[in-house]
Amino acid sequence: MNKHLSAYFTLGLFLLCCATAQANYQAVNQQAFSKLSLEEIKQKHLGKRWLMVLWSLECPACFKELELIKTLKLEHPREALNIVFINADDTDDTDDANNERKQVINSYDMKSFVNFYFTDGQGDLNRYQIDPLWYGELPRSYFVNEQGEFHGKSGLLDKSLIKKWLIEK
Amino acid sequence: MVIELKMNKINKSLVLVFLFVISAWLPSSQALMLKHDHQPSAVKKENLITDNKCKNAEVKCAKTMTSAFAPNGDLWRLWAQQQKLWVQISQDNGVSFSAPKSLAIPAEKISARNENRPKIAFDNAGGVYLSWATPRERKYTADVRFSYSKDYGNSFLKPITVNNDNLLAGHSFNEMLVTANGEVSIVWLDGRLSHQLRKQGKKSNGSALFLAQANFKEASSDNLAVFTNQQLANGTCVCCRIAMDFNKKGDLAILWRHIYGDNIREFALLTHIKNEETGRKIYQVSHDHWKINGCPHQGGAISVDKENRYHMVWFNQGELGKGIFYASSGDQGKTLSQPISVGTLSQQASHPYVNKNNENIDIVWTQFNGFEHQLWHQRSINNGQSFSKASLLATAQKGSDRPFIINKGKTSYVSWQRPKQGHWLQAL
Repeated sequence: MNKHLSAYFTLGLFLLCCATAQANYQAVNQQAFSKLSLEEIKQKHLGKRWLMVLWSLECPACFKELELIKTLKLEHPREALNIVFINADDTDDTDDANNERKQVINSYDMKSFVNFYFTDGQGDLNRYQIDPLWYGELPRSYFVNEQGEFHGKSGLLDKSLIKKWLIEK
Repeated sequence: MVIELKMNKINKSLVLVFLFVISAWLPSSQALMLKHDHQPSAVKKENLITDNKCKNAEVKCAKTMTSAFAPNGDLWRLWAQQQKLWVQISQDNGVSFSAPKSLAIPAEKISARNENRPKIAFDNAGGVYLSWATPRERKYTADVRFSYSKDYGNSFLKPITVNNDNLLAGHSFNEMLVTANGEVSIVWLDGRLSHQLRKQGKKSNGSALFLAQANFKEASSDNLAVFTNQQLANGTCVCCRIAMDFNKKGDLAILWRHIYGDNIREFALLTHIKNEETGRKIYQVSHDHWKINGCPHQGGAISVDKENRYHMVWFNQGELGKGIFYASSGDQGKTLSQPISVGTLSQQASHPYVNKNNENIDIVWTQFNGFEHQLWHQRSINNGQSFSKASLLATAQKGSDRPFIINKGKTSYVSWQRPKQGHWLQAL
């Protein structure tokens, strides 16, 4: 019986571990991007300054920017960093990139932020919905003011610029 | 015995309660995950259907497509799926194709998205040449790979790695040209220098342009050819495709996006003159002043005509020039014609390709109007002095690959992969 008992418990523990690992891996706060969700997030932030950061798995400079924001998160209260992330990779669920995106959100400690992603086959549409004059260069950021006006900037951001916009004001 | 039985009952009950709790918690945790995911069910459903459809090799499932005519007139189209290279052959210029066939190459990861894609070329003796990039275990590391078939694709040489540094570094965005005699030239963006600098704690910016050459057709099967590795330039943009063509003398004309000064991303041109190891001049071709510390994801294209005029197109978003531009050079880049603007900038005109064939200079590019992707075309019959009015060739609903032009004799064809929709091929 003891043998059976340990076998049952081992099985139980195994299931528990698997479930926990799966939960940690999948519990990433991310949403498919749409024009409606952009409008909602814009309305929600009216009266506040915020930053919209677009990144891609195929953009080395984007990872420098994510690392920079991760550092800022350690130096300042989370509430001070009013940032929304959008992954612009336009991947489907069969792609390795889809899993990679989740891993990036985990490893760059982006889980407490709102994370959007461009949906499969809709990348150009999603990009157009954000800004018809943005041609896909990355990283791309939008500084959004209290009135909900977007000011786009391409390329890696300076830490001082983010701090000036979100923290020092 | 009675006591043991009672214990057994208690133990079994405990185990059952434990398992019940676990099993009850599992679905609730899944539900919790879905709640966090916030993904609409419709989207999940659509992806699921796509997944099922893409379990089989199918052109519609390809993100990128590479097409080329073989010397015998066959049209080959090549794509990567499920870590394999797949081809279809058409003997009627793309009207109908053979069933998809995976090439006899062991499965491995193949980069095939946006600016990165496998390449195919032929010699005049039934040789088929393949080149691709395979991602390595660390992010932004890859190797350039090569394989060769001397029996028109029935069997292939075991793939070899073209870059010879044996480093876990970036080697990607490969382009390949092969002469009728089987001289292979592969160029790529190489991260070995920046890798070494980083290891020394030094800063680096950009990649290097490398060239590998070998002839497998003339080598014996016992003594395989070995690729040379030669650095042609340093400080290139790290995520834009390279463009390459033979010039009139059979030398390589190479166009790429370079980093000038403080992250000014402009196009550069170099002619790789054979047997001339030094003194190769690099000319800056574009002067649009696009300053970006990031990835434009937009390479250029080059086509050299019989008079050795280099025809080039590129895309920039600079302070001095925005959009697609065409220009040509009669002296290998030393001087340049006045760039001509192409496409409608407000409709996301991008990803241009240029081809000179016969008396025609054809430019194709894509646009997006907020509803659909569009393939556009313009032609010049006066050596690029002026172009016809732009005409719309095709549309796509579910995404768009880069368009390319391939030649069969005096006829040029545009090749445009439309993910989930199909491959568009049309004589220009």
